[in-house]
This record gives sequence, C-alpha cells and structure tokens, in this order.
Amino acid sequence: MRARLTLAMILSVALAACAGILGLRHDSPSHPFEHRAHVLKGINCVECHADVSSAGETGPLHFPTDAVCRRCHEKPHDERSCSGCHGEPYVRQAAELARAQLRFEHPTHMVAVRGDCVRCHAQVVESRPDSVLPKMASCFGCHEHRDQWTLRDCDGCHVGLQAEGTPPDDHIVHDGDFIREHGVRAASARDLCASCHTERQCASCHGEGTVPALPWKLALGDVSLSGLHRAGFAARHAEEARADPGICTTCHTESSCVDCHTRENVAGTTARSPHPPGWANGEHGVQARIDPTSCAGCHGGAGEQLCVGCHRVGGPGGNPHGPGFTSRKNAHHDLPCRLCHGVGG
Amino acid sequence: MRPWVSAEGLVWAGAGAASVTGDVLVLSVRLHEPHGVAEARAGRFVLATGAIHPVQIDGAHVTARAPWGSMVETFGGLPVVPRFGARSYDWLAGGRVAQKVANAMTLGVSYVQRREDGEISNEEVGADLAAVPARWFDVAAFGAYDVTTPGLAEARASAAVRWTDWRVELFASQLSPGRLLPATSLFSVLGDLPSQTLGGTVRWRAAPRLDLLASGAGQDVAAGLGGNGWLRATLRLDDHGNGSLGLELRRVDVPDVQWTGVRAISTVPLGNGFRYSSEIEIVVPDHPDGRGVAWPWGLSSLSWRSMKGWEVAGALEASSTPLHRYEADALVRLSCALDTTTAKPPLRGEPTASR
Repeated sequence: MRARLTLAMILSVALAACAGILGLRHDSPSHPFEHRAHVLKGINCVECHADVSSAGETGPLHFPTDAVCRRCHEKPHDERSCSGCHGEPYVRQAAELARAQLRFEHPTHMVAVRGDCVRCHAQVVESRPDSVLPKMASCFGCHEHRDQWTLRDCDGCHVGLQAEGTPPDDHIVHDGDFIREHGVRAASARDLCASCHTERQCASCHGEGTVPALPWKLALGDVSLSGLHRAGFAARHAEEARADPGICTTCHTESSCVDCHTRENVAGTTARSPHPPGWANGEHGVQARIDPTSCAGCHGGAGEQLCVGCHRVGGPGGNPHGPGFTSRKNAHHDLPCRLCHGVGG
Repeated sequence: MRPWVSAEGLVWAGAGAASVTGDVLVLSVRLHEPHGVAEARAGRFVLATGAIHPVQIDGAHVTARAPWGSMVETFGGLPVVPRFGARSYDWLAGGRVAQKVANAMTLGVSYVQRREDGEISNEEVGADLAAVPARWFDVAAFGAYDVTTPGLAEARASAAVRWTDWRVELFASQLSPGRLLPATSLFSVLGDLPSQTLGGTVRWRAAPRLDLLASGAGQDVAAGLGGNGWLRATLRLDDHGNGSLGLELRRVDVPDVQWTGVRAISTVPLGNGFRYSSEIEIVVPDHPDGRGVAWPWGLSSLSWRSMKGWEVAGALEASSTPLHRYEADALVRLSCALDTTTAKPPLRGEPTASR
C-alpha cells in the first residue's frame, strides 16, 4: 500500500514537472482571449469587432486595436499591447490564412444569421477554446453543399486546396497509421484525395523508377516524415519482405530488385548471394509459393529461363503448379504456359 | 493557367560515377469542368481508383459525375517502363462505375485488363466501398478478383471509431502475391499461398503535445502463424510541432523472420531558420545467420531555410548492414521552393443556403 502511494506521488510530481513540456500548462504569457467573459457580460461582438459588418474579402482583419479595448478598460494593467497576452498568436495566423484561402464575406452572413455571431463562432462560449474559427461542419449546418461535395467542387469556398496545404482538423483526418491505411481509404475516394493532393505526391511513391525522388530521401532533415523506407530500411528490407509477402509488389514492379542487387553484387552465384547454401535443392519451391514476387524481383523476365531449365514438362524439377491450380489461358499458346507446355509439349 | 486547365510535372535527373540518368514521374494536363461534372487527365500519371492496383501510365483518364452521386470513369494507356525503356504492345484499359447512397456511402465496381506483348497480363474485376455512417465512425474496403487465374487477388478493409482523444482502427487484409504479378510471368502460375492479416491500431492523445500510438496484428503467412506490433510515442516540443521527439519500438515475429527494433528521432528548431535533426535505429535479428548481431543506422542533419524559400541541408549517415560492416555517407541538398500563391479570384457567387 505504501509502495503504491509512493509510486503515485512520484508519478504526480513527474507529471507536474512535465506539465509544460506535455502542453498541459502553457509557459507562454499569451492565452486564449476571454471571449466567454465578454459574452456573459452581454457585450455584443460588433462592439469590439466593429469592422466585421463591412469587411470584404480583402483588407485588414477585423481584430480590435488597443484603443478599442481601452474604451472600456480605461486603466489597463500593463503598458504592453493587449493582444500580446490576450489572444493566442496562432489565432491571428489562422485568421490570416482563412482570409487568403477562403472565399468568404462576413456582411452577407451577418444578415443571414441576424447578427448572431455565436451561431457560427460557437466556441466563444467555451472557457479556453483552441480556436474561434468555425469548423467546416458548422458551415455545412446551413450550406449543405451536397452537390458540391459529390462533384468535388470545392472551389466555391476554397481558393486552392492544393496550394493551401492545410490538413483539415475536423474531417478526413489522416490519423493513426495512415501510411498503411491510405490505400483502402483512397480506393473509393481518389478524386476526394486529389482535391488537396497533387499527382506528384502519388508518383513520388507509386511511380516506376521513383527511388531518387522519394520524399523521405529528399527531405533528409525531416526525420518525422513518415515512410515505409525510412531509417535503416536497406538493412532490414529482406526481413520486411519476408514478413509480409507481396508487400513490395504493392508499389514496385517484379523486376525492381535486380537493379540494386546487381549493383551491389548480391546477384547470381557470388559469395554474397542472398540464398543459403543448398537453396536450389531445398526450400526454394516452398518459399517461391509463399512469395513469388520476391523471386520475380530478380529472376523475372529473361531470368525465368532459369526455372524452365528444370521445371519443364518431363524435366527434373517436376510440376511447379500448386494444388488446385486453374487458369483460363491456353497452355500451348499463351505466356507463360507455352514456356513449358509449348506446341508439342 | 485557365481555371479549367492545369498542368503538373515532376522530372528528376542524376549523375553517378559512370552514368547520367533521369526519369519523368509526372507530366500531365488536367481539363475540368468548373463545377466538377467532368474532368480528363492526359499524359503520364499514377492511375489509382477503386480496387484497381495503382499503376503509372502514359494515357488518359476521363471522369464524369452527376449531382445525384453517380460517377463513371474510363481510362487507358501504356504502363510506364522506367528510364524510358522500350515497350512492345503493352497497354491497359478499364473503367469504374460508382454510386453514392444516402449521402453516407459510396459503392464502386471496377474492371481492368492489362496486356504485355499483346498477351493478357492481368484481368481483374473489383468492388470498393466507403461509408461514414456517423461522424465518429467510418469504414472502407475493397476487393479485387483475378479473372485470368480465378481467385481473390487482394482484399483490404478498415473500420475506425473516433472519440475525444482516442481513435481505434481495426483492419484486415488478404493478399495473394502471385496474382499481383503479370499473368505472363512464370511466377504467377505457382499457385501461391495467400497471406492474411488481422489487426488494430489505437491512437491516444495523452496530453496536448503527446501522442501515443500502438498497433498489433496477427498474420497467417502460409509458412505459419505470426504477428507484429509496434508502440510509438511522439512529443511535440511546441504547440505547432516545429520540434519533436519520438520513440518507436517494434517487434516482428512470423515464421523464419523474427526481429526487434527501436528507433528514436529528434527535431529541434535552433532559431534563425536553422534546424537540427537526428534519427537512430537499431534492429536486432533473432537469427543473425552471420549478418551481424545488430544493424544500427543513424542520421544527423543540420538545415537552414531562408525567408525566400531556399533551403540548405547537410547530413551524415552511418550504418552497419548485412551487406556492409561499416558504411558512412555525407549528404548535401540545396533546394528552392517557389511561391505559387496567386491572387485570390473573385467570389463566384454566394452558395445557396438550404434553409
């Protein structure tokens, strides 16, 4: 019991000590603006954000100046600018980004909601909101945009999603192990992905001959960038391939391995051959059935003749087909059947 | 360019000790009707839609959509051969039809036929599904059926639930490696043994700057049952994630392949545009078989980015692999990102309010 109490105390002290690092306690003097207190006092938004009713798509943002604050707070407690502490810097940055990247005018919306700003900026009533920018879901509360969403017609509101490069925070969140997940997520929604992502991003991984342009090869300093081939992949690539048969073929063609293996002199009958001694007489048949893509990585194309030398009809290698093998191909005319079963075979 | 046309290109070139090489990864033009009803892509691009295996082609892809949620796609072209290699009557063609149901689900059916040397190389039909029944729950799946050598080529499914700081995903897949090969390959007729995976991933935002991620999966890889799992912690050093520390532990244990790995990363902004990053990985195989008891790898880099988009980065990379006992490389990169921001076009018209 005493040990548990001690452990709990140690954990509590450690957590308190790390609170700043973990983001539980803010070290910066700035904090979210006290919107809630102003709302509860019954102060109308436009008393401070006076320009918002006439703000167009361009021009200055509608943030109040110190002079506006001092109309009520006649004796400020500090000589510094109010916005230096009252309000997070990133709120202003987010507003500037929205001004640049969204087609939006406050005046028309002010009329539609009859001056009730909280209908969109619902977070102002929270005590410490992360942001007061309306989420896209709240836009969809009035503007259903079903047709636009179906037609992937984002340009009505977004200036250019591909140039904006801002990940959405409330929909289509790329969360968890998204590198693995993205394929199945994109299958039904390629065009939705293309709303924000360029062809270049797909081709950087899924293109042929793409290795020199891999994003994590180019971004050598961005160690937090996700990627299957990060870090010491060269050392563990054989283990990765064997642990997940066929995974390499998801992006690479069947002849991708041979370039590198030839360059590194691990192909053929050299001492660096990746195959263990006695490979040809032992396990190779079973392993080939588990992951034929690995075999094809080096022995595809012309290299297939190596197999046909033994695995021909009447040859010493015997029948390479697995149990229950069927094919719609013509055994005597189509490739690769005719390599073994050629006319007269 | 005009609002209905855009173009994109990505070309690389490099020089080695004995040769100069390069390739075109993307070179495409996209025409699209401004309201999204139709679009066409032509040139070199990655074709990926529905259950069709992604393939880079020189060809065209046309899409038509209707406001009631129907979509028709058709495509055709020549599969790309790296480094401008020669082709001999290789082509593919196919299409996909999809329908949105109740504004929460999309169902699609696809078909593709690929030929090499004029022979059928792949012929597949597929189905795909994506659904978001609730804001906290979504599911996606696809399956591709090999018509040439009848059987399931590939199937994947993922379902995720999200609430507050948690996200839990369950995933499953079946992959038949031999069917991913061209049907003209001798290795496609071995009657391969498909592998199955069933697993889950949990993400917990333990603190505003601390993310914990855990994943585990059971695998049936034909040679027997096994599994793999990893734990990852990411601590952002500031609210914007400009700096971060990360630690990952991983274990793979399937028949014939067992290893344990640990990886640590750090990115620290130094001010005035400078940033220091380092990454270390150590992999310990259970059965070294003369390839070294551990395979360490490390990278340490310093980069500087100017306000005008120029970036200079230098790094030292060192490793010990099964192939090379010691290996060290010095890497240098100079890049420039051009500002593509354009003036905001005029408002196209106030969207119609539905109520």
